[in-house]
Amino acid sequence: MKKLVLVFILIIFSIPILGGCWNQRELTDLALVLAVGIDKGEGDKKYDVTFQVVVPGNVASGQNGGGGQGPPVVVYESSGDSITEASRKATKKIPRRLYYAHTSIVVIGEELAREGIYNILDPMDRDPEFRTTTVVIIAKDKRAEDIISILTNLDKLPMNRFIKTLESAEAMLGENIKLNIDDLIGAITSPGKEPVISGFVLEGSPEKGTSPQNISTTRPPAMVSVDGLGVIRGGKLVGWLNNFHVRGAVWLLNKMKGTEIKFDFEGKKDAVTTTPYLSDTDVSVTFKNGKPFANVDIDTAFKLSEMDTDFDIEDPHKIEELEKKTSDVIKKEVEAAIKEAQKYKADIFGFGERIHKSNPKRWKELKDDWDNQFAKMDYKIQVHSYYRESGVRGKPFWSDMNK
Amino acid sequence: MSILTKMLKKKQVQRKNDNYRQKLDPSKPEELVIQKDYSANVSRIEEELGHSADLVIRQINIGIVNGALLFIDGIVDGKGISEFVVETLMDKQISSREVDVFQYVMDQTVALGSIKTITNWNDLYNALLSGCTIILLNGYNKAISGETRGGELRSIAEPTQQLAIRGPKDAFTETLRTNTALIRRRIKSPNLWVESMKIGKVSQTDIALLYIKGIAEEEIIQEVKERLQRIDIDAIMDSGYIEQLIEEQTFTSFPTTYHTERPDVVSSQLLEGRVAIIADGSPFVLTVPALFVQFFQAPDDYYSRFDLSTSVRLLRIISFLIALIGPSLYIAATTFHQEMIPTTLAIAIAAQRENVPFPAFVEALIMEVTFEILREAGLRLPRAVGQAVSIVGALVIGQAAVQASIVSPVMVIVVSITAIANFSTPVFAMAIAARLLRFALMVMAALIGFYGIMVGLMIMAIHLCSLRSFGVPYMAPLAPFSGPNQQDVFIRYPFWAFKDRPKFIVKGNVVRTGENQKPKPPKQSSHKSDKLEENES
Amino acid sequence: METAKISGKQLFVLVVLFEMGTALLEGFPVQLKQDAWIAILAGMAGGVLLFLVYYRLFLYYPDLPLTGYVEKIIGKWPGRVIGFIYIIYFAYLAARGLRDFGELLTATIYTNTPIFFLMSILILTITYAIQKGFEVLARVGEIFFAAVYMMAVIGFFLIIFSGLIHLENLKPVLESGWRQIMEVSIRQTMPFPFGEMILFTMILPHLNDQKKAKMICISGIVLSGINITIACIINIATLGTDLFLRSQYPLLSTVSKIQLFNFIERLDVLFMIYVMVAGFIKVAIFYYAAVAGTTGLFKFKNHRQVTFPMGILILVTAMMIASNFAEHIKEGLYIIPVYMHWPLQIYFPCLLLGIAMIRNRKKQKKAPAA
Repeated sequence: MKKLVLVFILIIFSIPILGGCWNQRELTDLALVLAVGIDKGEGDKKYDVTFQVVVPGNVASGQNGGGGQGPPVVVYESSGDSITEASRKATKKIPRRLYYAHTSIVVIGEELAREGIYNILDPMDRDPEFRTTTVVIIAKDKRAEDIISILTNLDKLPMNRFIKTLESAEAMLGENIKLNIDDLIGAITSPGKEPVISGFVLEGSPEKGTSPQNISTTRPPAMVSVDGLGVIRGGKLVGWLNNFHVRGAVWLLNKMKGTEIKFDFEGKKDAVTTTPYLSDTDVSVTFKNGKPFANVDIDTAFKLSEMDTDFDIEDPHKIEELEKKTSDVIKKEVEAAIKEAQKYKADIFGFGERIHKSNPKRWKELKDDWDNQFAKMDYKIQVHSYYRESGVRGKPFWSDMNK
Repeated sequence: MSILTKMLKKKQVQRKNDNYRQKLDPSKPEELVIQKDYSANVSRIEEELGHSADLVIRQINIGIVNGALLFIDGIVDGKGISEFVVETLMDKQISSREVDVFQYVMDQTVALGSIKTITNWNDLYNALLSGCTIILLNGYNKAISGETRGGELRSIAEPTQQLAIRGPKDAFTETLRTNTALIRRRIKSPNLWVESMKIGKVSQTDIALLYIKGIAEEEIIQEVKERLQRIDIDAIMDSGYIEQLIEEQTFTSFPTTYHTERPDVVSSQLLEGRVAIIADGSPFVLTVPALFVQFFQAPDDYYSRFDLSTSVRLLRIISFLIALIGPSLYIAATTFHQEMIPTTLAIAIAAQRENVPFPAFVEALIMEVTFEILREAGLRLPRAVGQAVSIVGALVIGQAAVQASIVSPVMVIVVSITAIANFSTPVFAMAIAARLLRFALMVMAALIGFYGIMVGLMIMAIHLCSLRSFGVPYMAPLAPFSGPNQQDVFIRYPFWAFKDRPKFIVKGNVVRTGENQKPKPPKQSSHKSDKLEENES
Repeated sequence: METAKISGKQLFVLVVLFEMGTALLEGFPVQLKQDAWIAILAGMAGGVLLFLVYYRLFLYYPDLPLTGYVEKIIGKWPGRVIGFIYIIYFAYLAARGLRDFGELLTATIYTNTPIFFLMSILILTITYAIQKGFEVLARVGEIFFAAVYMMAVIGFFLIIFSGLIHLENLKPVLESGWRQIMEVSIRQTMPFPFGEMILFTMILPHLNDQKKAKMICISGIVLSGINITIACIINIATLGTDLFLRSQYPLLSTVSKIQLFNFIERLDVLFMIYVMVAGFIKVAIFYYAAVAGTTGLFKFKNHRQVTFPMGILILVTAMMIASNFAEHIKEGLYIIPVYMHWPLQIYFPCLLLGIAMIRNRKKQKKAPAA
């Protein structure tokens, strides 16, 4: 009996030695893919996929201290009729196994986005190796490979650069949204909601951006920057929200973390700039005359950050006016965003989803024709903003000089 | 395993089990009796001890009776003998024949600690060889044995293994009596009972069994006694021998008896109902039953306040885990679960490993083995050379190996953290278990990653749960879990709440601390201080 | 029959770990979308009722396991046949548990590793534990219980601090309607995991304080039911109904969404520790029941004689149950409940209870007469 057990244990433990180690792979045998770019195929294949692979020796300070000489990443291109095909074909050029667990960004070329993104999301959703927190962006007016190939400064790894830019712009300006694959798929599948994806543009020449010159000068010839929100309907990019439209959408989606608002004051143009920093948006959808009707309620607190006109900021009336003007600007932006979205017939704010949750019976009736219903929808926007502080100074320094 | 036991059994049959315990056969009582003729006795002793050079025989005359004084040089207190035995006997002159000389000698030498009458050869040899002085008198078929143990002994020194920042600084020595004295000084209770026995057919080592009557469970005491009596071995060189012979299960790397060189630790464990075993010649005292959690309790825990000692104890448990699974986590993370490592760190490790020719497992193995060799070498080498070894080791491990691209810097960090963490386990026996199992876990990790580590830890948990130490489950009070006994496990309760002795060891007498022990500020204290201030002003 | 005795605490721990076991991994009735948790609670209520049936049986024969007292109730040979069927049932469920475990690991973390290897390592570990006896198993359970709870609490707070909980995902409540919920709970959540309490009829005789059996088991069922419900709610609130529906292992998806301070992420390992513990306990208890039943039925001297062959049997069964994951799940959802769970968890015990009641009433009537 004991011998039997012993033999069995021996057999079990010799299996991995005989069969090679299945899931074992040394870190140095992996090509860590940091970013994937997917474009419409230029050749006869359906997709062109670019892989941004890190060159560890050039990023981290090696054993002798200091980074290596070459660029921190290398970009491989491959094409195929499916993403998997492209990924597997790429190994013809790459000496290591492509490893996606550290992929933190997926760039989709605008051309492909306009044709539809359903097909390309499935492999990433399915593969357990892929992080569900991978961020998706669209390369506005450009191919994804151009964006992926750019070398960046400040952050050695371009993908860090993208993510951090997205985060800082989201926190400071409120003109984009960091969206990961899970949320994207969630929004696509939810019947009463459409996703929006942040766009990235390339300023300057794509060719120069790939050379080390791009990181060795103080004014890089090519730069990537966040710009606009792509509106997706039915899995296709239908248009872009720009500037204040984006801000309106961000307000509505309750993702506003900070932005700037300027308005005329006491007859002077753009005299005051305020920065909202705390906000809460409450959206409810009710029915008015049998038609859906959205109530948007925004509360925000702001600081005064710049004034170009002299007034007494301790005067309650002035403060009231400040609050009202700030609210008005926000309201206008939100209105504009809703109108823009209605133009695209894309319910990016999730009004439909709200009906589904609060009134599932009515939703069943509305579901099939929701895009059109949304386009015709009426709404009411209420903004309450609260003045909090004006920094460490009261009056501007020049207020007495002028007298 | 079975083959091994079979082989052992066979050998036992072939072996002739010589009984050295008794020089003479007890089945023949007439041979055992001391003769009346003292010179015959003396020559018999001389003969049977092979005319050993350290046997000292002095002729004495007490009145008209001739006699001899025998002792073994070196293990007796020479000064004591000359002062109390020789001088007292030589001075006196006995004229009368009527006096019972034997009784007279007994009375005169009363200044010695203990005096015994011996009638039997076996007892005589035992007494003589353990440092007693034997007086043989002509015409008496009995001998006097006086307690004169002494000679050159190491004095009480500071502990070398189990250091404590705060607390007593004395440690056990190699002398049994000193050791029992160290404990007796701490517990002045008549209930502290010391039983003695001799183990070792040749060595005849004195063993003392200490327990507190009324606290320690009778069953445990009986069990310990039985197991000690069962020991049949030629010699006991250290309490380590006993430990290995009385353990419940030998196929385990976890210690199921506790050993310490600190008398304060032994005393407190006696008060928790444990039994202590002291072997002559060993500065390490065993206490049983020993439990898993006990090996994470350091003496400092009780001498400093509970909040500090609790946090330090938690730190110790964490470092035990690090020492156990540190390198295997590294192997698993870098060869199986790269997704777990944050991206920047993954890139940094990849960059460092770029030039290393070995897989992570081999790399880890090289480093761990190198470290173990260094540690062992440092332990064995004379102190002066030891330092040199550690310098060389630091250079080899720390720098040269990295520069030569044999290992990566991360690996060096992992190994050093593991090593340092391992040193923080208060008892060496447990630290060494972690050290050993670490290698097994490394193999498991190399085989199948975290799954392997988990399986390894699970098997370890099952094994630990199946162990018992003198009938007490080894993992108590964790498994079987017992709420009231958590007073000294992860959290060391403050003494006013630390009320009970461990109930899985002590069943009857469990009260340690009385009621209302929580210190309070004296009533009206604020009032008083106010008044003081008034007076001062 | 082993003479091991376990304490009430240990039994409670075993009940909770056993019930939560693999149910936390794949026991969610996902087709109900956001109403899944209601079905779990309903299933739990049904489970408590079923347990009361088992408990009555246990009261009649407090010293015997299920396979022992069927002989007394319906006679020697029919009883042995039924007992044998139960042994096969337990062994089969052990194999299913093992297969679940293997499938999960091969689908998520060990994608290139043969399932046989993963399963055989686990079964070896469990065999080792069972060789050591039931007391050791119970003690190991206590340690694992602490580990699981600690992890659950850590995971819970990480999920909350990552801001993943969106309670609005739970709306609209009762969209699928009571009828469907009840159907699902009878078909799915009551037999698995709550009806599996039938297994504890094999273990209750080990309890040292048998008066407490009822309280311990019911509170164990309720606690595990609440835990599964909480897990289900967290999953829905985190993943949203759509992803909850599509995920094969919702809990894994939830855990892998944790992202905190930019470095606490990809905590799949936390999940895997749970999987290991759950798989271990679930399979071990079924395995033990099968071993104990066999030892009793075929009058082996010692359960150790049966352990290893039974382990091999379970391993082989686990390999052969289904050729792929889809088949395995399909069997679990549609065939097993109707043809195995219902008869063996509901019909038989109720029938046995009926006969036992009549018999005992006769005895009681006879007793005062005599």
